[in-house]
Order: sequence, then structure tokens, then C-alpha cells
Amino acid sequence: MINKRSWPDYGALLIVCLILALIPLATGGSPYYLRLATLMLVYMTYAVAFNIIFGHTKQLFLCMGALAGCSGYLSVVLIRELGLPPGVTMPLGVLFASSLGAVFSYASVRRGLGVIFVGVITIAFTLVFHNLILGLRVLTSGEDGIVTRGLGFGVLEHRLASYYILLAILLLSLLLYHFLISSRIGLAFRALNDNELTAELAGIDVTRYKVLAAFIGSALFGIAGAFYAQYNGFISPDIFSFVSVDTPVFIMVLLGGMGTLLGPIIGAGVFTIVNELVRPLGYLNLLVYGVFLIVLFLLFREGLVVTLRKMVKLHIP
Amino acid sequence: MISLFIDGIICGLQLSLLAVGLTLIFGLGGVLNLAHGQLAVIAGISAAGLIGAGVNVPLAALLGVLIAGASGLVLDRSLMLMAYRYKGEARLLLGLVLTLGVSLAIEGYLNYSFPLVALTISLPILNVTLFGVVVRTTAIVAALIAILTLLSLFLFLKVTSLGKAVRSIVQNELGAELCGIDQASVRTFIFILGSLMAGLAGIAQGLTASLDVRMGMEFTIFALIVATVGGVRSINGTLAAGILLGVVNVFASFYVGTYLTFIILLTTAGLTILLRPRGLLGDWT
Repeated sequence: MINKRSWPDYGALLIVCLILALIPLATGGSPYYLRLATLMLVYMTYAVAFNIIFGHTKQLFLCMGALAGCSGYLSVVLIRELGLPPGVTMPLGVLFASSLGAVFSYASVRRGLGVIFVGVITIAFTLVFHNLILGLRVLTSGEDGIVTRGLGFGVLEHRLASYYILLAILLLSLLLYHFLISSRIGLAFRALNDNELTAELAGIDVTRYKVLAAFIGSALFGIAGAFYAQYNGFISPDIFSFVSVDTPVFIMVLLGGMGTLLGPIIGAGVFTIVNELVRPLGYLNLLVYGVFLIVLFLLFREGLVVTLRKMVKLHIP
Repeated sequence: MISLFIDGIICGLQLSLLAVGLTLIFGLGGVLNLAHGQLAVIAGISAAGLIGAGVNVPLAALLGVLIAGASGLVLDRSLMLMAYRYKGEARLLLGLVLTLGVSLAIEGYLNYSFPLVALTISLPILNVTLFGVVVRTTAIVAALIAILTLLSLFLFLKVTSLGKAVRSIVQNELGAELCGIDQASVRTFIFILGSLMAGLAGIAQGLTASLDVRMGMEFTIFALIVATVGGVRSINGTLAAGILLGVVNVFASFYVGTYLTFIILLTTAGLTILLRPRGLLGDWT
């Protein structure tokens, strides 16, 4: 499994791990900045997931918030309604999100939908999810949201500990990404990303690999969503909405560079800082998102990592 | 019952008016304009601002629609120009992302600068009786605007040579080019036309209910639902789907509530894409 070509990846992961592990020290004990850093980890995990789905198999999933939200809400509501332990409900939530993602992917590959119609269908699902949460008041308390209580035993309640738990999840998803991409599956992804028809002719089961990518990516959304729901202490439709998840994550992945190991993380880091700078502007943050999206897609499609690679002539994973 | 039905038809006409522009631009330019609803909001908010400044209502409405058309022109000549350089899937994706960006930017700006502006147009005569049912005059005017616009669009596409050029590009880009049709200018023309129609839909919304700065995304989504159910390249289909969904919308809102109605509409659109990609009514339009 471990070969020479993987060393740069491991080195990069180690550096990322060290930097992220030291961030809580840099916040100087301020709860606000620690919370911001923790949210950044959640968004980094989202970005890694989107990178697998969109960056490697070109499936435009615009239902990231809804997938994370399905898992988050399911795990919280089942605890409250049926009294099940989080250890049972969270895997159920994740399973539900990943199956949904796989179903979307299977249906759209089977029907031969272009990238744009996958986008339309998944946007429709985002809105269905939003309206379901608002409509099922009895279960979800609608817009008011639900207070969540962590995992018991104080896990995900203590702020610093939660940071490291979410960091561990991020690192595990990065490792998963690395193994996925450096295996035969990654090879298949690369082939079908270049040209689906030729990949199919070369004997690659395009349907299977696209559904696999959607399944794994959606599972990561589900995991991040479920942990976020417990960590946050409160869930509402707003924290899983299109504007608060899908748009930022799309920008993060574009900014960092699609199809790279570090791109989504770097993109998420830079975006978090920019977002924090424009927070005082209120609604104008939408304007900033919009301009970011346009400029990035027009002028900077390769993203930071690839640009850096060209500048320093070094292989950055 | 009859009054619900009439409400449904009126709502449907407005939906068609909104969606036909989206269909035209998609059919012709190959760009799914996610900023479509924001153009309706631009028209409505400009009109509301002008009315507030003392301009009389019809003139303000007209200017609002023209401002939407001008915004369409700017959008087409600047960002969409970059999208048109590509073909097929690449153009679709680029167009989708660019218009999503524009939509967010417009929404952010309007919400920041005019958070409290809303357009509500009222007329001197409140109600008229139609088929023994009392209907609001404003709703009738909105329906008339929609009917007249859609009729003139049909005539334009059927009779004039520019209209025929438009249909020929929808059918076959290369063939149209070979016949000497200048695609770029026809495309710009249609983008403006679609924007004007979105603007009219915004004004109509101000007549039947009220329009505020937060409604852009909702308009886009409704237009998208209607356009997909009607088959994104078929104008007749969009019209039929608009009226059908308008009636469904009004009846369902009355009997099962708004949330469930929206879910029904969205699921219809999703299933249409999956099961009948050429539109729910694709075979006989």
C-alpha cells in the first residue's frame, strides 16, 4: 500500500495536521476564534467531500447542505423522539445521507443527465429538504431549531476537545481521499473524468465508479453534518441552507483547486478568513460570494494549488 | 371552487411569463440563467423606487421593465460573452456558475441597499365580477399583461423573420449559421427579450400580491420548475406547464398548505427530469 510516490502526500498531511493542531494556541483562548476554527474544520471536511464528487467525477451536487442536514437532523430527532443513543442515530444519519447521494448519482447516470440537470435536481432536493424541515414542525421545530446536547460523557461539549475530534475526522477523510485516489479507483476516476465514453470502452464501469464517488462523498457530508449538529449545540434549517453550505463550499473547492489533496483545505482556510473580514458588511457577504464565484471561475479555474505548483515548480499534492 | 380555479389560471399565467424567458434563453444561448428571478426583482424594486420618487405608476412600471431589459443587455454583453466562447457542456456549466454568482451578487446588493423597499401596486377600482365570481382588478390587469405579452411573443416567433431566425437557431445552431443568421446578435436580442419578460413578471407580482428584495431566488426556482416540467426547450410546453402548475399551486396551497405544495412542485420537476427529460407534455407540444 505504501509506496514511494505517496511520500509527498504523507508529508503534506503531516504539515497540515501540525498547523491545524496548533491553531487553538493561536486563538489565545478566545472562545469566539476557537469556534470559528472548529467551523473551519467542518467546512474543510465538506470541501474534501465535494472534491470527491465534483472534482473527480464531475457530478454537480448542489445539495451538500441538505445531505449534511439530513444526517444532522435525523441523528438529533431520533435521539429526541425515540431515545436512541447517539452511537446508533449518527451512523443511521450518515447511512441515510450516503444512500441518498448514491440514489441521486445512480438515477442521473442511468438517465444520462448532463452536469447541469444533476445540478437542477440536487437544487430541487435542497429546497425539498428545507421545506420538509420547516413543514414538519412537530419533529423539527421548524425555523426555531432544536437544541442538541453532545454525545454524552462530555464528548463534543468541551470546546477544545471538540476541536480535536473534528480535526481527527478531517484527517481521516483526507487519508481516505489519499487512498481512494492513489488506488485503482482513483485511476478509474481520472479516466472517466477525461472522457466517459473512452473510459467505458476501456472496460471501466462508469456507473459504478460515479455512484461510488457520490456514496463516499455523501457519507463524508453526513459524518461532518452529524458531528457539527452535536457540536453546535443547536440546529436550524439555516445552518444547512444553500447559502450557508453549498455556495461557500463550491467557492472553497474552486479557490483551492479541484482534484487536489490540499486544494479544498487551503481554499476553506482562505475563504474562512475572507468571510470573517466581510462579516461586518451584513448582507453584502452575498455580493462577495457572487463576485468570488464569477472571478474564480473565469480567471482562476485551476485554483491555488495548481498555480503554486507552476510558480515554485514543486509537486504539491 | 371557481374562484380558486381563476386564481390558479392567473397565477399560472404569471409563472409562464416568468418561465418563458428562461426557456428562450436556454433554448437559444444554451445558458440556464439562474439570475432570471433577480431581473424580475430589479424591475419591481426600480418601479417601487420611482413610484416613491413621485413618478406615476404606469410610467414607473414601464421604466422598471426597461431597467430589467438593460440589465439583461449588460449581463449578455459582459459575462455571458465569456460563456458563449465554449460549446456544449462547458458552456452550460460556465453559464450556470456565472449566473449563480450574478444572482448572489444582485441579491446581496439589493438586500444591503434597499432592505425595506417593496412593490405593491393598487388600482382605483378594487374588484370586478367575472363569471359570477368577484376578482381583484389588479389580478385581472396582471393576467392581461401576461396574456398580451405571451400572445405577441407567439406572433413574433411565428410571423416575423427575426422570430423564424430564433426558432431556427433553437432547432439547429450550425444550420442556422449556414443560412447566414448572425447568432450572436439574435442571442443578445433574446437575452434582452427574456429579461424584459422577467421584468414584466416582476411588475405582475407587484400587482397580484407584493414584491420585495428577498424574492429573487424564489422566482428563479419557480421559473426553473415550470421550465423543466414544460421541457426546457419547448415554449408551448412551458406555457402549458405554467398554467398547469399555477392551478396545482393554488389548489394545493388551499388544501394542504404551502410547504407541502412546494414539495409537490419540486418533486414534479425532479421526476420530470428523470422520467420524461423532454418535458411532461413533451410529446404533444
